[in-house]
Amino acid sequence: MLVVAGLTAAGLYVAQRNATGALEQDLQRDFQSALAGLHNVEEIRYAALAERCRALVAKPRLHAALEDNALDLLYPSAKDELRDIMQDEKNPQPDEISGIPQARFYRFLDPAGAVLLPPNPEDVGPLRAEEEQQLTLKILPQAPQIGYLLRGAGTGAETIDEIIALPITSTETNEVIAALVIGFKPLEVAQKRRTEEMKSGIWLNGWLHLPALPESARTIVDQEMTRLLVANQTERSPRIEIDGDPHLLFFKRLNPGSAFPAAYEVSVYPLKSALARQQRLRWQILGAGAVLLLIGFVASHLIAKRLSAPVARLAIDSEENRARRKRVEAALVSKQEELQRSTRFSADASHQLKTPVTVLRAGIEELLRRENLEPGIYDELSSLHHQTYRLTGVIDDLLLLSRLDAGRLKIDFSAVELSKLVEEWLDDLNALPDPLGLDVKAHLPEGLFIAGECRYTSLILQNLLENARKYNRPGGRIHLTAREENGAVYFTVGNNGPAIPAEMQPHIFERFSRGPNGESIAGHGLGLNLASELVRLHGGELKLVSSHDDWTEFEVRFQLADAAAAKSQIT
Amino acid sequence: MKLRCLVVSLCVFGAFSPPVRAEAMIEGRVELPKTKSAPVMTKRYEIVTSGGVLGTNPPLAVVYLEGSFSKPASLPTKQVAQKDLAFLPTLLPVQVGTKVEFPNLEKDTYHNIFSYSPAKRFDLGRYRPDEKPVPSVVFDVAGLVTLRCDIHEHMRGLILVLATPHFVVTDESGRFRLNGLPAGHYTLKAWIDSRTTREHLVDLNSGSTLQVDFP
Repeated sequence: MLVVAGLTAAGLYVAQRNATGALEQDLQRDFQSALAGLHNVEEIRYAALAERCRALVAKPRLHAALEDNALDLLYPSAKDELRDIMQDEKNPQPDEISGIPQARFYRFLDPAGAVLLPPNPEDVGPLRAEEEQQLTLKILPQAPQIGYLLRGAGTGAETIDEIIALPITSTETNEVIAALVIGFKPLEVAQKRRTEEMKSGIWLNGWLHLPALPESARTIVDQEMTRLLVANQTERSPRIEIDGDPHLLFFKRLNPGSAFPAAYEVSVYPLKSALARQQRLRWQILGAGAVLLLIGFVASHLIAKRLSAPVARLAIDSEENRARRKRVEAALVSKQEELQRSTRFSADASHQLKTPVTVLRAGIEELLRRENLEPGIYDELSSLHHQTYRLTGVIDDLLLLSRLDAGRLKIDFSAVELSKLVEEWLDDLNALPDPLGLDVKAHLPEGLFIAGECRYTSLILQNLLENARKYNRPGGRIHLTAREENGAVYFTVGNNGPAIPAEMQPHIFERFSRGPNGESIAGHGLGLNLASELVRLHGGELKLVSSHDDWTEFEVRFQLADAAAAKSQIT
Repeated sequence: MKLRCLVVSLCVFGAFSPPVRAEAMIEGRVELPKTKSAPVMTKRYEIVTSGGVLGTNPPLAVVYLEGSFSKPASLPTKQVAQKDLAFLPTLLPVQVGTKVEFPNLEKDTYHNIFSYSPAKRFDLGRYRPDEKPVPSVVFDVAGLVTLRCDIHEHMRGLILVLATPHFVVTDESGRFRLNGLPAGHYTLKAWIDSRTTREHLVDLNSGSTLQVDFP
């Protein structure tokens, strides 16, 4: 914030200073361009004039008068020749109308540069003696020279005329034998100014012709000009104080390189209003800067706030997420531990149970071997003995499940022939008493091998087929089919019997889940769950296809065993 | 051309009068300045200036006998014509009191012949070709008169007004012959250009021929 404020302040300071510098440069440029414009106008004027004068100084009569020793005829001849260019005193024509500047006077200079006095000054424009003296040159020039002539000095009505000296070259000797000096009213410089405040005039020989300025101011400008010219500081545009107000002083030589005394175009520009403007501008810049700074602060604050809002929200969100994740992780860990604990418990319990069951069975078998048992007691003992087997089955299933849950069960894959497994079960089934009188039909293609470990695939099938037998009705059917499709073997088991209610169907593969009529049927609710887990472990799936209208059908998908492996297994 | 021949012959032989008495003759040669440039084919004479000195190109000189001679009752009128923006002849010696006519022989160009020379100031004003009467001036003071044209600033002509009837223009090699001179003691002068006039004192005896060379 401080840096921004500091930079802005520095920027404002520089801008303000630039504005000041630019103002002075602008003024200087104004002056120079106005002067350049003036010079252009003058150059055109001089070009016209020079052409005119060249013709004039080539006039045979002038040459005759100068070359043929007839100086008395010089001015009379010139009167005729210069009649066109001389201003008619009685009826002066503006330059703009006549097209050529009108001469106010002219004089000839002799070979020594002195003025050849005219016999009749009225004809050639009267000049006072000291004015005529100003026309003299030390030597005659080889080229036209421009100068300025102060007229009426000391009369209070001073004017400055522009003069041009034209060499007259002898046609006989090719030497400059005389010069013609013609005086004109100078171009009105003041009216060409763009800025009305700028006052312009001509400084000549320590005398300032600037009627727009009061006498006291002229003295100051005059002194400053003299000082600068003595110091040869002609490139500067100094500030001067006139009546306590600062002014800029511009000046430029009007007749550089001329044999006539140097004349300067002088312009004085009052800085009072410019300074006031500048002061106003400074305050405006400062005000604008301050407002800008304020707006900037507010805007940056708002933007920062808007930008940071989502970040803050993100921070909160991420904090929440982290907390949630931690909670979930903790829950996961506790679940894991719980699972491990329960798995361990199941395993431990199974192991701990197996031994007493074995002891129990051995004890019951010992009792059954006694001969003096009453028939009722024998039956009960037989029943107990049978229960011990059932208990062993449950314990075995629990053991297997706990191993499954602990992820410790690894399938040792090999090719298992499906039909063989079914045949074995059918043999076992035939060995059992068949109170229901079930009709079992198997449509199994020969040589259909599934990938799996024999004892577990056998267990799966055993569980499914046992269910199909257990939950059947008297005289019911069991229908077994198998087919190969897209590298998989689909084995279906269908049986008659009461349908599984629809609300129970999603839960039949859960542990200790039993059918609605389960209580009447031997079982412990682990069979389907175990089968389903084992199928999953074999990379397959067990699902209920349908169960309604006295018909329930399950389907198992096994992976098709590698044919080559299967063959080698057979042989 | 015809006119020029006439004028030259007049100049050279115009001084002849019937030999009523034994007269002297001067022959000789004037050493003329070197020609400034190769003579042009038309052999037109023109006035050239060199350092303010007027002379003809190619150079010619006027040789004349100075002395006091009785003024004749009438003098023949001479002519300086303007042709092709030049004076013809460019250099004309005349005796004081001679009337010179300035005919304009151009096709359609005006001329304004004037002179500011101290020997004769005149201004004929503008006149067109075939102006009648032909503008003329009587030269009554001895001296060199520079002729100028106010319209054509480059035109220059010279009239050398002499107080003697005995004068002749040399040929281009500087040779001259003055006939019919009275016996006596005289100064023979050779005008070479506006600054250079050479002198030679001569004693003329009747019937004799004097050889005078101006170095």
